[in-house]
Amino acid sequence: MGEPINCREAAERLQDFLKQELTPELEAEMQAHLERCRPCFDEARFEANFVLMLEVRARRVECPAALRARIARLLQSEMERG
Amino acid sequence: MAEPSTAGRQFNAEALPHLDALYRTALRLTGDPSQAEDLVQDTMLKAYRAWRQYQPGTNAKGWLLTILRNTFINDYRRRKLEPIATDLELVEPHALYRAIEDVDPEGAFFAKIVDEKVLEAIDALPPDFREVLVLSDMEGMSYGEIAEALEIPVGTVKSRLFRARRLLQSSLYAYAVETGIIPPREDHDG
Repeated sequence: MGEPINCREAAERLQDFLKQELTPELEAEMQAHLERCRPCFDEARFEANFVLMLEVRARRVECPAALRARIARLLQSEMERG
Repeated sequence: MAEPSTAGRQFNAEALPHLDALYRTALRLTGDPSQAEDLVQDTMLKAYRAWRQYQPGTNAKGWLLTILRNTFINDYRRRKLEPIATDLELVEPHALYRAIEDVDPEGAFFAKIVDEKVLEAIDALPPDFREVLVLSDMEGMSYGEIAEALEIPVGTVKSRLFRARRLLQSSLYAYAVETGIIPPREDHDG
């Protein structure tokens, strides 16, 4: 377990933390900070909600069935040509 | 009709499940449904022809999105419409959270904006920022995967993502205030 980090360091790590791109050690330090610092926890939750919202919107857009069928036909003829 | 070969079956099994992701990304990059369809179709044909270069078991979605993005850059992107990237690096938008933590600390207003408006706001982002945001936050690609796909350093991916998110938050906030989804801030309050 590393040193306790302060709010400035937590703010600097927030984006990487939400992307789950911190090393396990840095992530543990960040977790520990968020558990004891309410303002940083609240900010992290706000940013996390925002990113989650984007992910949800993205998933609602699907490839049109007609395009899917057209691509399947194209690939089929491409495969037959070898 | 002949049965697909082993390679054909493998391609179908690995690539077809990612059509939704390809279409969504194409739509955000081109901003136009019919161009998006053409882009996805071109991408799938190119991917099939390059299938031997794909290493089974690696990230098929990332590989396909890279082909899509390169196809977009080479064949679709109209350079004259592009802002200059170096100017964009100077953009330093404010953190929305600090401005509205008292009114909406959880960012509940984001969820109240209809899909169409959110997507419009994304489409209005500068292209260099938009593509990073789409690949990261809508398609779940890692910094490393995005850096590879866009051929830019990881540090650039991070800073573009940072700015893209802030720009998008500001623009969604402006829309939410305009439409009464969230009350405007009082001027005298910091």
